[in-house]
Amino acid sequence: TSSNFVQRSNAILVSHRQKGNPLLKHIRNVRWNFADVIPDYVLGQNSCALYLSLRYHLLHPDYLYYRIRELQKNFRLRVVLCHVDVEDVVRPLLEVTKTTLLHDCSLLCGWSLEECGRYLETIKVYENKPADIIQGHMDTDYLSRLNHALTAIRHVNKTDVVTLGSTFGSLSNVMDASMEDLARCPGIGERKVKCLYDTFHEPFKRVT
Amino acid sequence: MVKFHEHIISDLIENSNGGLVVLSSGLALPKLIASLLFLHSPDQGTLLILSATATQKQSILLSFSTFNPQNPNPNVPTEITSELAARQRDALYNSGGIYFITSRILIVDLLTSKIPTSKIAGILILNAHSLPETSTEGFIVRIIRSLNRAAYIRAFSDKPQAMVSGFSKAERTMKCLFVRKLHLWPRFQVYVSHELERYPPEVIDVRVPMSPAMKVIQKAIIEVMDACLKEMRKTNKVDVEDLTVENGLFKSFDEIVRRQLDPIWHTLGKKTKQLVFDLKTLRKLLDYLVRYDAVTYLKYLDSLRASESFRSVWIFAESSYKIFEYAKKRVYFFARSSAGKSGGQSGIAINKKRKLKGSNDDEEGDSLSSSSNGGVHLEEVLEEAPKWKVLREILEEVEEERQKQALLGDELASCSKEEDNGNVLVACKDDLSCMQLEDCIMSGPKKVMREEWEKYLLSKVKLKGFERCKTAKKKPKERKGIGILDGIVPITPEDNVEVSSINKQENDALIAAASEIRNLSKKDVVIEVSPQIHAKEQGKGKFKTLLKRAQNSVNERSLNSSVTTEKSGTSGSNNENLRNVSGSMITDHAGENPEKSSLTCNRVLRKHTQEIDASVKGNIKPIPLVHFHALDSGQLILDVLKPSVIIVYHPDVSFVREIEVYNAENPSRKLKVYFLFYEDSTEVQKFEASIRRENGAFESLIRQKSLMMIPIDPDEHIMGLNCLSDPHDPLAHNSVTRKAGGRKDAEKEMQVIVDMREFMSSLPNVLHNKGMRIIPVTLEVGDYILSPLICVERKSIQDLFTSFTSGRLYHQVETMVRYYRIPVLLIEFSQDKSFSFQSASDIGDDVTPHSIISKLTLLVMHFPRLRIVWSRSLHATAEIFASLKLSQDEPDEVKAIRVGVPSEEGIVENDVRAENYNTSAVEFLRCLPGVTDSNYRAIMDGCSSLAELALLPLERLVELMGGPIAARTLREFLDAKYPTLL
Repeated sequence: TSSNFVQRSNAILVSHRQKGNPLLKHIRNVRWNFADVIPDYVLGQNSCALYLSLRYHLLHPDYLYYRIRELQKNFRLRVVLCHVDVEDVVRPLLEVTKTTLLHDCSLLCGWSLEECGRYLETIKVYENKPADIIQGHMDTDYLSRLNHALTAIRHVNKTDVVTLGSTFGSLSNVMDASMEDLARCPGIGERKVKCLYDTFHEPFKRVT
Repeated sequence: MVKFHEHIISDLIENSNGGLVVLSSGLALPKLIASLLFLHSPDQGTLLILSATATQKQSILLSFSTFNPQNPNPNVPTEITSELAARQRDALYNSGGIYFITSRILIVDLLTSKIPTSKIAGILILNAHSLPETSTEGFIVRIIRSLNRAAYIRAFSDKPQAMVSGFSKAERTMKCLFVRKLHLWPRFQVYVSHELERYPPEVIDVRVPMSPAMKVIQKAIIEVMDACLKEMRKTNKVDVEDLTVENGLFKSFDEIVRRQLDPIWHTLGKKTKQLVFDLKTLRKLLDYLVRYDAVTYLKYLDSLRASESFRSVWIFAESSYKIFEYAKKRVYFFARSSAGKSGGQSGIAINKKRKLKGSNDDEEGDSLSSSSNGGVHLEEVLEEAPKWKVLREILEEVEEERQKQALLGDELASCSKEEDNGNVLVACKDDLSCMQLEDCIMSGPKKVMREEWEKYLLSKVKLKGFERCKTAKKKPKERKGIGILDGIVPITPEDNVEVSSINKQENDALIAAASEIRNLSKKDVVIEVSPQIHAKEQGKGKFKTLLKRAQNSVNERSLNSSVTTEKSGTSGSNNENLRNVSGSMITDHAGENPEKSSLTCNRVLRKHTQEIDASVKGNIKPIPLVHFHALDSGQLILDVLKPSVIIVYHPDVSFVREIEVYNAENPSRKLKVYFLFYEDSTEVQKFEASIRRENGAFESLIRQKSLMMIPIDPDEHIMGLNCLSDPHDPLAHNSVTRKAGGRKDAEKEMQVIVDMREFMSSLPNVLHNKGMRIIPVTLEVGDYILSPLICVERKSIQDLFTSFTSGRLYHQVETMVRYYRIPVLLIEFSQDKSFSFQSASDIGDDVTPHSIISKLTLLVMHFPRLRIVWSRSLHATAEIFASLKLSQDEPDEVKAIRVGVPSEEGIVENDVRAENYNTSAVEFLRCLPGVTDSNYRAIMDGCSSLAELALLPLERLVELMGGPIAARTLREFLDAKYPTLL
């Protein structure tokens, strides 16, 4: 069992039920091996996944519910990986959505086997990864921050950032520029001038 | 009022139910609306105007006030804003007046039963072309129609092309607005054309040849465009027939490509997307080529080059170096100091070669440039825009003619004086051109080019200096020049790694030239700046220049008095000063009617006169009073100014129509119109194509109209008011239960609490249509509350990607998880786009952090309690909501509002938060370094706007931001010097 434990930490454990699923061909970035597990895929200590093809669901609408019930509460993250492989998705997807939502599963959709495989790989690879890439920590250098701030204003693009920067010299000068000065910049038309000027000069709170 | 407007109005009024009017652009839609408003009387009820833009409002008000000055209509339209308290709004809704209102306020007031619908006479909807099928406007109309069948709906559009984009758009728009009649008024309609062509104005077409360099650039851009199109063809994603350079010249091309690619946009590879952007960039370059002067154009190219990433395809296309090369050659070139080398730069029209700063101290200049850059020096070219000269000639001709006329018959002139005020209008595309042409006329094209050039160089050298003098906060300008000239700042560009030695030499030469100018401008302000002296240089002439904003003065002096006595000590004066000084000396036509002038925007009119001193016999010919107008501003100008000569500097179809209407309304006035086209340019092609496109759009609309399946049956449910056919009144969910709470009804009916901000989207409309009761409130957490347990954050695909990048989504999910048992992320695809994230080929071989798969996975892993709902479309979402709610209790409005609200902040009743805050400014503020979730509210309390924040001293920031570190971070970021382009 000790070797089993080692395997568990760096490979995806695949249920024997999944034998013959072409999805397995697309798990290439992580090791996987068959094991006696209840979920279709065990992706880590606390996470597992069930695979569901919508086409199969149409034939066996109760299958998903029974599989979820089998899982019991052993895993913190329970993913239902739904392969969207039918044209008319609205009805079956609604059923799957409802089942997962009311039975504590996270639903992920893939439109191809590659995509489904990638989800499994990613969950495994990111097992211990912090969330900072989705927490909006952007590059901290001056230009990226400046770009980030100025392009948050509607219609303003990166070229405009260069134009504004080189014309006015610093952000505080840009923020303090008059409409006329803004209008004199190439590429900054009526609409952009207005957006920029209003952003900088309209009060934060419009209420009097 | 033009006759055909009367026809339109009588057609429209004939049908009590309302109708959709589509007319050619430029056929004075604001006037038409104003005439309609004029017919409104308060006893009919209240009239509401939806989705008018700010400029449209202005134009409508302006036309409204000019109709009958003797007997003004007291019923002037005003605006209902969210700042008015609920009670005040109620009084207005009952008043029978005319109001502009946003659809968001209106829908919220309707849903909360704050509008006495029986008092609504009707609704006017502008810009009907921009309404999606499930628009909030449609939602409003549906509710109003169900409660008050007598109310009329009149929708308008003057963008026929937009009305035919997409499958039977006109018909669908009409259905969603519940109107049955389509009124088409193309320019070629017989009433219209007859009226507009009865007294044709005198039209003079002027074809100006482009300079050889411009031709080369135009050709090169087209070649690059062709190369990009070929690449695009290879992707097999767009219909090959549409991919022609000819099509690529026009704005419509973006639409063609977008329409085909939109359904699969998020599945496209990076390269294809980049090609679409590149084509847009190239089209802009073509456009700016004929609009900007040579230096500004070069500056734009510089910015473009600095910002375009390595991904752009076009920059590497074969011909694109020519664009940069020739754009530079129009401004300057480098020559070896050894004489005679400059002759090598043949093939371009060099208007004037002049060694930099030749006029003053040649010695110093030579020594400086040669010492600093060893052999390479800068030769200026400063090519002027060919149209400038032609404009000047036309103006001279106009004046000459006028003087001749004056000599011929003084009497005649004086009796027609009222009619002909001698105003000359120059219409160009944008403000930039306006200002520049104005300067051109006032102080000559050479000086304009020189100033642009100096600005260009200075921005480079100044930036260079900035890097070194980071501590200089207040007046960096003085220090910069000194720094460079003293040699404190090394002239080597440290940021350019791959600069070849030749490039380096050239850069040095540029910087040297710039620092000379800096030096010069400090010493010789008088010579360089004062226009009077400039005039002397030109010859014997001496002219006085007056310039001012039309609105500033309301005095009634005659034109002739506008000759100012020259200020003797002009040494330090620059143009800006002159503007102010002469402000009170000029008659102001617009000012005759103070009301009128207050309505016109400050920026539209620029008045400017030039008069020659009687004693001067120089070769400078007199030119008349000139007004400049930026077409982009979209304001009515012709009726205010009443010009007798119009020079269309940048041709534009809808402005041509405006001229036609103006001419038809004033048949007694002799109007002369000049068109300035660049010969063989894309400008001409574009103009002609836009007329063709519009005609094509109307032909298609006429065809559609003949096939439309709109029932004539006045019974409304057939038209799609399905919820009406039920015993349930559509508002039953919103009014009946609220009052009585009839147990049985309440059990059946579903309630959804919706955040106010969500009324920008169509989902509330669709939910309501499904029979749910919509409760609009301001939510701190989530967008939709379905039950006490379920809170939904809704993301369109576009939003999903951006909010992942900004970190906003993470934050939103974090709070949802904190407050709700079942937090839900709804990923909503759009019906007309494909249902998938990306094409299989784009998935790639490895797990990469930037892939959407990785981000979504991380989100799920960090919030295992988060539920994800994938919805195919709006309508699918509505079904999912309904299904989820079946087993759940109804949500509690009062609780939902309190969730996540900091306790010290009271709950404001009817708080339409998004409208009370300058959201763009708040967003911007939160992007700044040092600003955090915990201190941004304090900053907003402590200063009113970002402009003010920009000037706050460090100490004050420390107070507001609660610490010196954050404050210093922010202050330093604000004042950091933007790195140079060189």
